[in-house]
Amino acid sequence: MSFLLGVALLAVVTALACAIPGVYLLLRRDAMMTEAVSHAVLPGIVVGLLIAGDLDSPLLILAAALTGLLVVIGTEYLHNTGLLEGDAPLGLIFPALFSIGIILVSQRFSNVHLDEHVVLVGDLNLAAFIHLELAGLSLGPRYLYVMLAILLVNLAFIWRFYKELELTTFDPTLAELLGFRVRPLHYAFMFLVSVTITAAFYAAGSILSVALMIVPAATARLVTKRLVHLLALTAVIAVLGAVAGFAAAYALDAATSGMMAFSFGLIFVLVFAGERAWAALRPRRASRVG
Amino acid sequence: MITTTLPCDAVCEARCLSVAYREALVLKDVDFSVPPGVIMAIVGPNGAGKSTLMKAMLGLIPTTNGSVRFFGRPFQEVRSRIGYIPQHASVDWDFPTTVFDAVLMGTYGSLGWFRRPGKHERQLSWAALEQTGMAHLARRQIGELSGGERQRTFLARALVQDADLYLMDEPLQGVDALSKHAILAVMRGLRQRGKTLVMVHHDPSTVRQLCDWVTLVNKGVVATGPVEDTFSESNVRRAYAHMPTEEWFGKATA
Amino acid sequence: MEPLLELLSDHTVRTVLTGSTIIGFVSGALGAFAYLRRQSMMGDVVSHAALLGIAAAFIVASLTLGSGHHTLALLLGASLAGVLSILFANLVVRHSRITMDGAMAVSLALFFGGGLTLMRIIQTGPFTQRAGLDTYIFGRAAAITRADLQVIAVFAAVALVFLVLNWKVFKLYSFDTVLSELVGYRARLVEPLLQATIVLAVVIGLKVVGLILMIAFVVAPASAARQWTRSLGAMVLLSGTFGALASIAGTLVSVLAGDVPTGPVIVLALTAIVAVSLLFAPHRGLVARALRRRRQRSELVREAHARGA
Repeated sequence: MSFLLGVALLAVVTALACAIPGVYLLLRRDAMMTEAVSHAVLPGIVVGLLIAGDLDSPLLILAAALTGLLVVIGTEYLHNTGLLEGDAPLGLIFPALFSIGIILVSQRFSNVHLDEHVVLVGDLNLAAFIHLELAGLSLGPRYLYVMLAILLVNLAFIWRFYKELELTTFDPTLAELLGFRVRPLHYAFMFLVSVTITAAFYAAGSILSVALMIVPAATARLVTKRLVHLLALTAVIAVLGAVAGFAAAYALDAATSGMMAFSFGLIFVLVFAGERAWAALRPRRASRVG
Repeated sequence: MITTTLPCDAVCEARCLSVAYREALVLKDVDFSVPPGVIMAIVGPNGAGKSTLMKAMLGLIPTTNGSVRFFGRPFQEVRSRIGYIPQHASVDWDFPTTVFDAVLMGTYGSLGWFRRPGKHERQLSWAALEQTGMAHLARRQIGELSGGERQRTFLARALVQDADLYLMDEPLQGVDALSKHAILAVMRGLRQRGKTLVMVHHDPSTVRQLCDWVTLVNKGVVATGPVEDTFSESNVRRAYAHMPTEEWFGKATA
Repeated sequence: MEPLLELLSDHTVRTVLTGSTIIGFVSGALGAFAYLRRQSMMGDVVSHAALLGIAAAFIVASLTLGSGHHTLALLLGASLAGVLSILFANLVVRHSRITMDGAMAVSLALFFGGGLTLMRIIQTGPFTQRAGLDTYIFGRAAAITRADLQVIAVFAAVALVFLVLNWKVFKLYSFDTVLSELVGYRARLVEPLLQATIVLAVVIGLKVVGLILMIAFVVAPASAARQWTRSLGAMVLLSGTFGALASIAGTLVSVLAGDVPTGPVIVLALTAIVAVSLLFAPHRGLVARALRRRRQRSELVREAHARGA
């Protein structure tokens, strides 16, 4: 497999793995939770790296995802105290965790290979560097298979718990009354989100995870009215945006993750403007007919 | 306090129920019981704790003290026999789902964790939509419904559970005449089939006409029992006389 | 104590400390309004969007003024991008089913993605003296110069005058949106003013805290201050004071230890202040509340027992 194809595939698979759980985050009004988790996993990554010594070790991903879960639980706790207004709990927890991570990174107390910029923007090319070879045959970047595994786990989880996720997202009260264990399901889902963000971190940095997780779903949300359609269209947009962003970055020699975030943003703007224009034209056309 | 107790066959019974929001006691020592086959209204002034009482009964908010039993058992053991219709502001009406899908969700409880809704569940949902006069709107996105239609969707969703006791939080508030008519017809039909209905009700003037049992609430139970004895002028006056003294126990402003 | 005093007599250190104290106070005080508006995470969107403005202003200043390091131009660019990011999020919410959190995430991706792309162009392009731009990402108090200080002072003065002028409106609006609307202060007019305070708070603080962590400066001092007081005036003053204290702590560490980025140190100091406030504030605090709740429960049980007997 050529290096370029490998990187492009990695971009697409990462986008898909992130975008699909993002649908539920958007519907639960937890979109900014992505931003928080993507920053908060940093101390987990650094500590995990110290222990595991390898960026795609499952141990590291687990350690980091647990720090991500800390944001979810901590935010919930602070919110329930009723002492803080609006989304302040979120804005208090993730900067603290990210700060710990940055101080650890900046001290370079070990041979941890991670600088502030990789943290911020990630590096798809770097992530795609180590190739998986089997019997002398190159099978593409090793990290591609990590992301592929995570994509499959996400899809399996959503397929298996489709009914429960739908109900707990739409009406958690009813779900509770019907006897579904809303909180365990929520934590399991958020753990999966944390795992996904952590895995995407190396390829995408902390910035891109917001773009990958939320923007495709938000774009699809503009034009769909049923959950199944929303999920399907989100997947399509994730692939389109990843390819467009990657191609633009390659053509312009720009940073891949920044360019991908930007291109997802642009796709949103286009669909948003198109949908608005369509909505503005429609009643006029109807009145002309009538 | 005038209390009629039917301890053995009460469908629902609250004992010494107290609820606090932060430090303020919203409800204190609530005692009442509901016999089977009645429509009971929970009535009281704004801020009396009517909705709070209903949520506390269902365990949706923590209680400070006391207990609630349904059919003589705790809620967890009999949850499939209880349907709940929340106030219609309580869910996200922009959620990408059709009326039919929303009603179908009412069957999820009986399916448990593993099964998916099949033909039987779809039939149940259609029947419930027919009953509430919503079948022609089944393919609409829920956000496109009027207030009354939303309430009927909730009602249909509760109907598919085929419960024995229905708890309804202000089912008639903000509802158009047509929907009100449809909802009342369904409620009376349920009572005829021996079901029990408990509703939080905002309009004391219609209690005599709609209900046969009543609980007057103001921070606690003022009176509870059959409408003809209990819904007397003196009791109503007692319930509405002293308006809530605690400032709207919402959030403190800066 | 001795080396600290010696340090304080150093001219550069004094500049840096003065700058970061002003920044901390003003950002913290303005943050109180963002906090009361209940949309704290908007501060995060604005601070990230600022990168696009900074990068664009750097390019424009390089081309027109000869040097990109023009503090005023950079801060104006940052302010403009911040305002645009808020307008964009609000536009999306008004004209679609997307809720505010989703709109914020989209705005963040669009503006920050654009900012990172421009930064890359600056790095690979023909621009000289591009080194200092990174301080806006992670914050470095030690990088505050005398020229910065002047611009910061001007921004701070503008912000404070702005605050005093709109005090009555902000106060009414934060207390009671409906009443404020009734007496004629339309949300349509007040909202942009409040949003402007968020943008100012963020832009002023960027150099010290850095854009990634700037959100903490908008949220934390106000969150802590809110626990100790109910009056808006006291809250704003206290919020500013907490901001200044944390800023001084971060700056001292930055100056003394050199290689530690300032932002994270400030954030940890702020987090400690918030934790103490949440736990130990009189009446509202978690400790005080737990004690009260326990007393209440035992009283109810005792009463119930007495009646039962």
